[in-house]
Amino acid sequence: MSEVTATVENTSEVEKKTSFSIPGLIKKYENLGYKAKKKINFVISRIFLYFVLIEMAYLFILPFIYIFSTAFMTSNDYLDPTVQWIPTTIEWSNFSKAFVALNYINSFIQSAGTSILSAVFQTLSCAIIGYSLGRFKYKGRNLIFFFVVLVLLIPPQTTILSSYGMWSQLGMINTWAPIVLPCIFGLGYRGALFVLIYMYFFQRIPDVLDDAARIDGAGPIRLFIQIMLPLVKSAIAIVCIFSFVWHWNDNYETPTYMFREDIMTLQPKLEKIRTFYSEYVTAGDAGATVFDKAMSEPMLFAGCLMVMIPVLLVYILGQKQLTQGIERMGIIE
Amino acid sequence: MAKTVKQKKKLAHSQKIAFMSFERRRNFEGGLFAIPWLFGFICFVCIPLVLSVSVSFYEPVLTDLYSFNKPVGFDNYVDVIQDPEYGEVVFSSFGTSLAKVPIIVAFALFVAVLLKQEFPGRTVFRVIFFIPVILAGVIMTYLMADGVGTLSVFSNIVATSEYGSFLSGSLMSSIGTTMWASSVEILIFLAALQSVPAILYEVVELDGASAWESFWHVTLPYISPFVILNCIYALVDSFVDSQNPVMKILNELTQEGTKYGMASALSWIYMLMTLAVILIFVLLTRRWLR
Repeated sequence: MSEVTATVENTSEVEKKTSFSIPGLIKKYENLGYKAKKKINFVISRIFLYFVLIEMAYLFILPFIYIFSTAFMTSNDYLDPTVQWIPTTIEWSNFSKAFVALNYINSFIQSAGTSILSAVFQTLSCAIIGYSLGRFKYKGRNLIFFFVVLVLLIPPQTTILSSYGMWSQLGMINTWAPIVLPCIFGLGYRGALFVLIYMYFFQRIPDVLDDAARIDGAGPIRLFIQIMLPLVKSAIAIVCIFSFVWHWNDNYETPTYMFREDIMTLQPKLEKIRTFYSEYVTAGDAGATVFDKAMSEPMLFAGCLMVMIPVLLVYILGQKQLTQGIERMGIIE
Repeated sequence: MAKTVKQKKKLAHSQKIAFMSFERRRNFEGGLFAIPWLFGFICFVCIPLVLSVSVSFYEPVLTDLYSFNKPVGFDNYVDVIQDPEYGEVVFSSFGTSLAKVPIIVAFALFVAVLLKQEFPGRTVFRVIFFIPVILAGVIMTYLMADGVGTLSVFSNIVATSEYGSFLSGSLMSSIGTTMWASSVEILIFLAALQSVPAILYEVVELDGASAWESFWHVTLPYISPFVILNCIYALVDSFVDSQNPVMKILNELTQEGTKYGMASALSWIYMLMTLAVILIFVLLTRRWLR
């Protein structure tokens, strides 16, 4: 008899253990120690974090997946509604065709040259004006700040034709000068925004550092280069990456000033793929005249992928610098 | 002997500058740092701006844009203001821009707070949230033409939910593409969040504050200038965006060539309105700027 009761008790205990009820769980949780509680909180927050982030990331990565999958499709796959994301056969020739149509190597040199030069100059010159605005109070400082905001607000369309007239009078159309020269002086494409970013970062540095460096005998230029610039590494990383990416992607000002065939950058060249493709088809295959505009789409997206990849690489490489610089910011105060 | 002469020269030199106090000299030197920018501002901004203002008072032809032969006074401006189509487009684009800003900034702050934590794979996520910046430009136009913008989850929700009719404004259906505009803001917020000293969090945690409280009482006040900066950036970005209907009209007018005077007038009116909105915004939020 006693054995039987014991087994009954055992089973009831087992039932108790396996029974799953929310109030019971909450009670258990409340009885836990501080460390265990913290651990559980941590796990729950991580699950929530990944859940939310993956969902958001899906939203952001969708266009990229679309480009990626379309770039490998044949024209038949593209027009076939049953083929959703995964192409039936991988079409590598899209890339070779796009390579030819883009005149890739030449356009790449043009794009990379203008973007790298502009990014380097903007990173330095915007730091100079941002330093001046962020750390000093002199007569006219507020006026200059107002000018910076004004530059930020002027839509490029307001001045594009007059600027074009100015550059053509200087004989600098179809050179890198209209893009790169303003960057030397801290202007250029979205230069005002970079000035503001630098300004906010310089404002954060305590004044004591200034005075200490001055007492140790540093001149104003030395103070700026050796003490202040290393302290705003995160701003430098941000400005450098953004300046490069935006100049690379610019499809308004750059093609306005650099429109000759051999000096065109990659972005405007993309638009040539469609026309190039129709010529390519009629020249090669005799019977292939039925191709309409939509048929060149896979090739267009292959071209897009080839244009994007360098920028993506720059960001992935610069990402480390970015976070390192950013993390160093926290130590200052 | 030579050494002392050198020292004397140095001394004399320093005495010459010494008429300024240390603080004044420091600020004077700071002002010198602004000179290159000012030079560039005059050359590359002022000259084209002045040209564009004067063009808006003339009726130029493309062959000689800057001859200024046909003064028309304020006719260009009157034309723009009287045209009902322009007014409608300008005001509707202002409305959508203003409505977008809080969504973009709040979303960016949310994502930045999530991404700031240390967890495996955050580099991957940071790269993913940067993708829309890389896709900007022509590529985005192609994607829109192919209807990728409508592929997003949100438009599906709007289409299927029973509140569909309530939410089916143009803003809701384009909310996915609105969020794509928040990459830059996410990065700026990330940098700002990293600059909050960790010791502050330790202090409030010892005082028994939850993560929620420490966000509202430590993080947000500390990064408030960056919130304002991001708001201004989001505003300007949507005002100047090439997908903006006003910008499309401007492009059409400039491409016609003969209506360049009108295009200048429209862009000036638009710019002054933008400036007014930003000024009002800055005045309202001045309190949190420092």
